[in-house]
Amino acid sequence: MERRAYYRKNSLPWLLLAPQLLLVLIFFYWPTTQALYWAFTLEQPWGGGNSWAGVDNFLAVFADDRYWTTVLRSGFYAVVSTALSMAGALILALFADRALKGTGLIKGIFIWPYAIAAPAAGVAFRFMFSPEAGLIGAINKLWPGIWDPSTIGWHALLMVIVCHAWLGIGYNFVFFLAALQGIPRSLTEAGAMDGARPFRRMLDLQLPLIAPTTFFLFIINIISSFTDSFGLIDTMTEGGPIGATTVMVYKIYFDGFKGLDYSGAAAQSIVLMIIVIALTFIQFKWVERKIHYS
Amino acid sequence: MIERSRTFDTVTYFVMAVGLIVVIAPFWVVLVAGSQSLQEVSRIPISLWPSNHLMENLSEAWRRADLGPKLLNSLIVAVGVTSGKIVLAALSAFAIVFFDFRGRMLSFWLIFITLMLPLEVRIVPTYSIAANALSPFQTILDTLGITGLVQSLTGIQIGLSWNLLNSYPGMILPLIATATGTFLYRQFFMTIPDELVEASKMDGSGPIRFFTDVLIPLSRTNMLALATIMFVYSWNQYLWPLLITTDRAHYGTAVMQLKALIPAQNGTPDWNVTMAGALIIMLPPLLVVAFMQRWFVRGLVSTDK
Amino acid sequence: MKRHWLSVTALALTSTALVSAPALAAPTKFEFWYGLSGDLSEKVQQMCKDFNASQTDFEIVCTSQDDYDTNLQNTIAAYRADKQPTIAQIHDAGTLDLMLSGAYMPVRQLMEENGYKIDWSNYFSGIASYFSTSKGELLSMPFNSSTAVIYYNTDALAKIGQPLPQTWEEVETAARAMKAAGYDCPVAFDPTGVWQWFEQFSAIHNQPIATNGNGFGGLNAELVFNRGKFVDQLTWIKKMYDEGLFVHKSKAAGETANDAFEHGHCQITSSSVADHGTFSKLADPTVHWTNTMLPVWAGTDRKNSLVGGASLWTLKGKSPEEYKGAAAFYAFIATPKQAEWWSTVTGYIPVTNTGFEAMKAKGFYDAAPYKGRELAIQSLTFTPPTENTRGIRLGNYVQIRKEVGDAIAAVLFNNVPVQEALDTAVEHGNAVLRKFEKTYQGAQLP
Repeated sequence: MERRAYYRKNSLPWLLLAPQLLLVLIFFYWPTTQALYWAFTLEQPWGGGNSWAGVDNFLAVFADDRYWTTVLRSGFYAVVSTALSMAGALILALFADRALKGTGLIKGIFIWPYAIAAPAAGVAFRFMFSPEAGLIGAINKLWPGIWDPSTIGWHALLMVIVCHAWLGIGYNFVFFLAALQGIPRSLTEAGAMDGARPFRRMLDLQLPLIAPTTFFLFIINIISSFTDSFGLIDTMTEGGPIGATTVMVYKIYFDGFKGLDYSGAAAQSIVLMIIVIALTFIQFKWVERKIHYS
Repeated sequence: MIERSRTFDTVTYFVMAVGLIVVIAPFWVVLVAGSQSLQEVSRIPISLWPSNHLMENLSEAWRRADLGPKLLNSLIVAVGVTSGKIVLAALSAFAIVFFDFRGRMLSFWLIFITLMLPLEVRIVPTYSIAANALSPFQTILDTLGITGLVQSLTGIQIGLSWNLLNSYPGMILPLIATATGTFLYRQFFMTIPDELVEASKMDGSGPIRFFTDVLIPLSRTNMLALATIMFVYSWNQYLWPLLITTDRAHYGTAVMQLKALIPAQNGTPDWNVTMAGALIIMLPPLLVVAFMQRWFVRGLVSTDK
Repeated sequence: MKRHWLSVTALALTSTALVSAPALAAPTKFEFWYGLSGDLSEKVQQMCKDFNASQTDFEIVCTSQDDYDTNLQNTIAAYRADKQPTIAQIHDAGTLDLMLSGAYMPVRQLMEENGYKIDWSNYFSGIASYFSTSKGELLSMPFNSSTAVIYYNTDALAKIGQPLPQTWEEVETAARAMKAAGYDCPVAFDPTGVWQWFEQFSAIHNQPIATNGNGFGGLNAELVFNRGKFVDQLTWIKKMYDEGLFVHKSKAAGETANDAFEHGHCQITSSSVADHGTFSKLADPTVHWTNTMLPVWAGTDRKNSLVGGASLWTLKGKSPEEYKGAAAFYAFIATPKQAEWWSTVTGYIPVTNTGFEAMKAKGFYDAAPYKGRELAIQSLTFTPPTENTRGIRLGNYVQIRKEVGDAIAAVLFNNVPVQEALDTAVEHGNAVLRKFEKTYQGAQLP
């Protein structure tokens, strides 16, 4: 990622950065720091005051076995929804890249899910997957109880993950398709002349060449599974049943904002932040260096 | 395509068809349910064919959620965020990618980390900031003792205050303060060959010239892609506008109204109206994406073939 | 803001018109945030409109925040940012947090300072005790009060030829008979309905939820509901659920218990008396129904049930004019005419003795569609409040409610043993209480 050619100025880059940094400092770091401070105190919800608590809040969080369940669940959610969404989008993009007759319009439609607000998709999927209404209700009539996300935890989790993956398809598809179309034609032609079958060509030639995009999307997807899951879970399951769809962000939101335990929630957000920063940092240090930007 | 293989073409069509069904099914269900009457939508199994009540459901949803002004508000916010973001993100990414200065990586990480902690988890302090966006400066002045000094010298009490609750800046500015755009520009700027920079340097033009004459024209399609992304992102915001607009009649946005459309706890389950409303609310970003699709896709293609 | 010289007297209590000197400037605006939505929200808006039309000095701006939880959260966020409304409607579970916050102006003080004389002893003791200090000073204005009752589909009862059940034993018999008679869903059950299935059950059966008189005695209260009758009750509910006599109905399941009852899908449901009005309005014409007080187990010495709903809190940090407006608004909603209108159109109970007596004397409760609502008052005032039926004064009670709801759901859906589930809920709930106690170290209950 290193460039050879740079401008060397000292004040100009800061000037360019100033507006963005200012906004980030005011609307991100200032409030975040405040929240982080709560992690080391016991903050009264109505703001009447607080007392220093040291690392007690963290100890309490770590001692709660349900917290670790939530962490594992978030990891599972992140990996499965990312894998589903990216694999689906990649397959579609690989085939769409062949640009066969009549597929142009379909290509456009593949992007649509991207435009949909998470709560809107949540409402639609909830209707579709509701055990008593609409579509699944019919299946449940034949085999009662075969599908019930309102009582069976893994059904609910599956429902949310599928909806999340569906929402991500459009975005991933666009990036994959763009990357595939960015592969110089000469390379593919050379591959064809070597007698590589189309399927082989996909695996051996196209996939390695779009590795930077895959990396970029992987990061974006993992992060979005931590952040964008909120709107979905809030409209679809509210974290239930019995906490089966409670991921880290939702737990932070619930404990802090609904349960009025600002300090416990703040401690959890520090943990979340460390996890995500570590993840990203590793990716940047190891993967981006290895992947060659052509 | 380079060569034809009939079996592979069949596979291609098959995969595309399956993909199409998966992608379009939820849209279809929303459309179908939105066009049915209450009796039809409550039927199990539901008919998968549209009925003829679409218009009345649409107008009922429009009326119930007061969508006229709400859509306008959404538009104002989306356009504000989009244009602000395109400009600010380009500037900051330019600084990070093309300059060698102390604090380069620090700035990058300062901006990049904002991707990681979603608004939901820091919503209470962010709300306080929105109530007075200048409070950080007030605190700084206070801790430095400047407030006290000025007061003792001039008798004037410094009280900085800028309330963003129930206002368009309040809905727009915090959304601009995220890293998505910077990250995207960065990815694109990284692909600009060093030779271009060197050539520009050799012409004797400075960084600003390079930015306006070379980078901006080169990244026009990227900007369109970013514009699409930001429009969709800001249109689809949910929790933030919900929190900072207590004056819903004047500042409510369309997506917020989804909640008003979900059948109330003690109401009739008229999912048909809910779905019709969802249809209206979903439409603008969908249109933008569909219309911008060509540039959207192309804007993300690296240009260094 | 211009000053208004009001000459308000106790008359304001009996007449809706406030007397004021000619107001030259615009009326004083103040905000009221509430947590009701849908039909009930429209009724609140109507009330605000009527208040604004009744006088010219004040203009109340009423904003719905969708539900109680959201309203509490948003009010807190606003209070911390110094942008709070003058009046906030806070539900029972948020009461203690607010009491300790010092963020409010006691309603009694507010009314006295603004020259209103109100006979506070007129309020039902069960209602007053929930929102009062230990010395009996009312801190917030009772507004929408309710209690839980049980609703029956009378056609289903007629079909099985059974009178109205009064005990849980009779409910079980009726549910069995209904199932045998071909009803798929005898009793609708929502595990998140902790308020009616757990709290009210505990009160009526005189079971402590926590030590120290459910927290009234101090912040060091500990949860004890894993040792009382609720263990047997949940065991029974589980049995009924497994036999298909209780059927899971909730928002998550696609149909709420109330919807299922309204449409005749379920024949028995337990809910707030406030839904009496909703059922009258929304139940299918073919569904005939009635209600009774919540059942008890045979041989139980029945106690009064708990008051539910919410009250109005006046928040600190507002101008004297705005407080004048708030006081005028409280006086307005306390007028007999308004109070009667409110409980007629909603189903919430009248909150004062005289209000109730007046409506009873008029024959309000004698015929449909209002007949049955008086049972809520009977249930609320069945006995004088005991240690266990005064109310619940536990910190961050929203979290504890969720623990109980999760415990019930775990027993029903995941077959977790009842004792184990309740022990877990108590353990986690106690952790919440201890943290709360630490957060407010040294604070005294008012």
